[in-house]
Amino acid sequence: MKNILINLLKSILFLVLLIIILELITIMLLPKYSIKKYGFQNTVKYEILQEKPDTIDVIYLGDSLVYSSISPMEIWNQYGYTGFDCAKAAESIANTRKHLEVAIKHEHPKVVFFEANVLYRDPNKRPWYYRLKSEVFSVFAITKYHDNWKQIGIKKSKIISNVNKGYVYMTKLSKYKPIRKINNPKRLRPIPEGNIEELKKIVKICKDNNIKLVLINNPSNKSWIYSKHYATKKIAKEYNLEYIDLNLADDLKIDWTRETKDKGDHLNHSGAKKVSAYIGEYLFSLGLLEDHRNDNKYQEWNRAYKYYSEN
Amino acid sequence: MILSSSSTTKGLFDVLTGGEPLSYFNRIYLFLFLPLVVLIYNLTPKRFRPVILIIASFICFFMMSNKLIVFLILSILSIYLSGRLMNKVDDKTEKALKKCKKTEKKVVKEKYKKKKKIILVLTILINVAFLFYFKYLNFFAGNANIILKWLNIKYSFQILHHLAPIGISFYTLEALSYIIDVYNSKIKAETNLLKVTLFLSFFPQIMEGPIARYSDTAESLYSGIKVTYKSFCFGYQRILYGLFKKLVIANRLNILVKIIFNEYMNYSGLSVALGVIGYTIMLYMEFSGTMDIVLGSGEMFGVKIPENFRQPFFSKNISEFWTRWHISLGLWFKDYIFYPVSLSKPMKNLTVKARKKLGNHFGPLISGTVALFTVWFLNGLWHGAGWTYLFFGMYHFFMILMGNIFEPLIIKICQKLHIDRKKKFYRVFQSVKMTILVFIGELFFRAPTMKNAFEMLSRIFTKISFKTVKNGELLSLGLDIHDYIVLILAIIFIFVIGLLKEKGKNIREDISNKDIFTRWILYYALIVIIIVFGAYGIGYEPVEPIYADF
Repeated sequence: MKNILINLLKSILFLVLLIIILELITIMLLPKYSIKKYGFQNTVKYEILQEKPDTIDVIYLGDSLVYSSISPMEIWNQYGYTGFDCAKAAESIANTRKHLEVAIKHEHPKVVFFEANVLYRDPNKRPWYYRLKSEVFSVFAITKYHDNWKQIGIKKSKIISNVNKGYVYMTKLSKYKPIRKINNPKRLRPIPEGNIEELKKIVKICKDNNIKLVLINNPSNKSWIYSKHYATKKIAKEYNLEYIDLNLADDLKIDWTRETKDKGDHLNHSGAKKVSAYIGEYLFSLGLLEDHRNDNKYQEWNRAYKYYSEN
Repeated sequence: MILSSSSTTKGLFDVLTGGEPLSYFNRIYLFLFLPLVVLIYNLTPKRFRPVILIIASFICFFMMSNKLIVFLILSILSIYLSGRLMNKVDDKTEKALKKCKKTEKKVVKEKYKKKKKIILVLTILINVAFLFYFKYLNFFAGNANIILKWLNIKYSFQILHHLAPIGISFYTLEALSYIIDVYNSKIKAETNLLKVTLFLSFFPQIMEGPIARYSDTAESLYSGIKVTYKSFCFGYQRILYGLFKKLVIANRLNILVKIIFNEYMNYSGLSVALGVIGYTIMLYMEFSGTMDIVLGSGEMFGVKIPENFRQPFFSKNISEFWTRWHISLGLWFKDYIFYPVSLSKPMKNLTVKARKKLGNHFGPLISGTVALFTVWFLNGLWHGAGWTYLFFGMYHFFMILMGNIFEPLIIKICQKLHIDRKKKFYRVFQSVKMTILVFIGELFFRAPTMKNAFEMLSRIFTKISFKTVKNGELLSLGLDIHDYIVLILAIIFIFVIGLLKEKGKNIREDISNKDIFTRWILYYALIVIIIVFGAYGIGYEPVEPIYADF
């Protein structure tokens, strides 16, 4: 029994020391100014804080549909607009609002896209393992930033911490035959209690900061249904917001037999390229943003694009 | 691709694994599945522990191959029941022998042996049929269709699009070895179904072997030995070494290898040579790294799974190489193909005749060559249904044969030139020559078609240009200067470890004898190196478990 106890204590001590060592190395691999200003946990939790302050034009808020559909680097390459996916898997609207609050302390975006699918997620029914995964990730964040060691020696202000800008690159293909959905304009998907209050807060934050808020539905043949579309349309009208439903965009033409990574739920990289091109064109049509591709202040974006495109 | 992609039901498993299939390098296997099995196993009373391992193995197999688990179960049942039937035949033989006269004994023995043979052949046929259906049917159907088209016959065999059960090539050979050993009375048929089940399905071995024999692992698997602190630490120590090989070296080389093998026409001979060398190193690191994880996992449960690698690049010749690389496969072919063929009656007769005409060296070589050809034909086919694999087998057959034929001549030349074949420089020369031959063999192994392989080979010699080093071509192969530095240092590290092992050093024991402070520093250093310098995450594409496809 005594031996078991000693071995157990030794194991715990080994793991605790390991976590400390890994956190210390992670700190070395992340931008120092973010750690200093926001602390280690926030810098890891809200990756947008690793960006240079006041350099992001567009924020894409929401859940996994965002980070698998919108690649800010594609938009950068075509239009020179900077953007960041502030999105987490199965995210609740309250956390999305918090994410926005944190982000706008650091950045001053002109446009924010909000994935409307989040509106219909009951915050009380979020599977426990999503939370566990993000908690575990914050302890082992080094696994995401480990390759930053290659930038050791580069001037601090030129370090690229996040090449994909929140987007998750997936080339996997899982063929899918889209399901035909019932189109009944009278059927509106109910929104869980409290979510409208959170949406109101998001609307207010954007209004107070002079940000154009756009509701969006990224393509998903599994998560999306007409009743969500009509309900979101009604809300958009009520709050005077623009609403883009990419599931009904005739000119987008997602090929679900080739462009999904998980049988119609999320897009793969090929699909994401189409969506990003669509959003880039939309942003261009707004005429609110500047092309930064030749701006010296944004040269790390060109460098990041090089890494991004090589991979 | 043999890996079965189970239905992607979004849930806990997909979220945790990020949608990746379960493999030994998956964090879910290493840090959740394995520790959880260890915990449950230790908390279970000793006699039920094998059942825990069976349940874990079936869960693991199901996660990888879904409902195709049925074929594993059928294989298990086939060898178990056949073994039992053979036992019954043996009992009947004994009874019959007791009752019969002395003069009838031979006839009685023959009669029952025939019965046993029928059972053996049927069992082999059942298991080989599964393997043939999943692995070879399309290859033969495709080639038959080409011939039919050529003959202007308007009939074509259907090409099936199906996935195979994970590790079918490995567990089928294990199953065959069991039943053949029972037939040859090397082992007694097992009466306990659970024991046979665990032997064939033990989860660390199911994907890429080693192809163990029943006498190697069955007893220790079923003994229910408790996982101790030492076995747990030792197991993870070996797993870490495997992770280093796979994450730091194999995954990094994968980038370069993919580019070269897909676009070799755009690169100089030097870059193509680098890709070919890189592929062999990658294959070694991936496969031997997986074996480290497999053996480490087994070690935790007190199971000594046989080693599958023994510093293969220190071999003198191709023949020796195959006794150090994928050892369990080589031994399987030796015991169940080479010896039965070379010691068969017709071959023995042939040897006697050939010895008279060709002398003592070349005479026995004839029957040996027939057996060797059979082994390498089947070895090539085992690796995959494709002409490149068959060529790979034939290439090794030819190299070993040449070695056998010219051995006396080389000995004579060395004697005349006063070259001491035991001297270090000659040993190094032999290893270098052998390694180059292995590189060429692996080029055919990896190339998509035979045409590609020959084009690549010719490019290495005809388009050689040392400008490649200066003009930055090496940096356009998906690796930057940092990656090259890490690769070189990591390969040197593995080489030094290999050299020490070759000299008989037991590094793991040496480490365990150090004080806790030194030990922990070494472990932390290895973990940090794997995590920081590992080639995973954004920008990297991990090597798929190569041998799981065979």
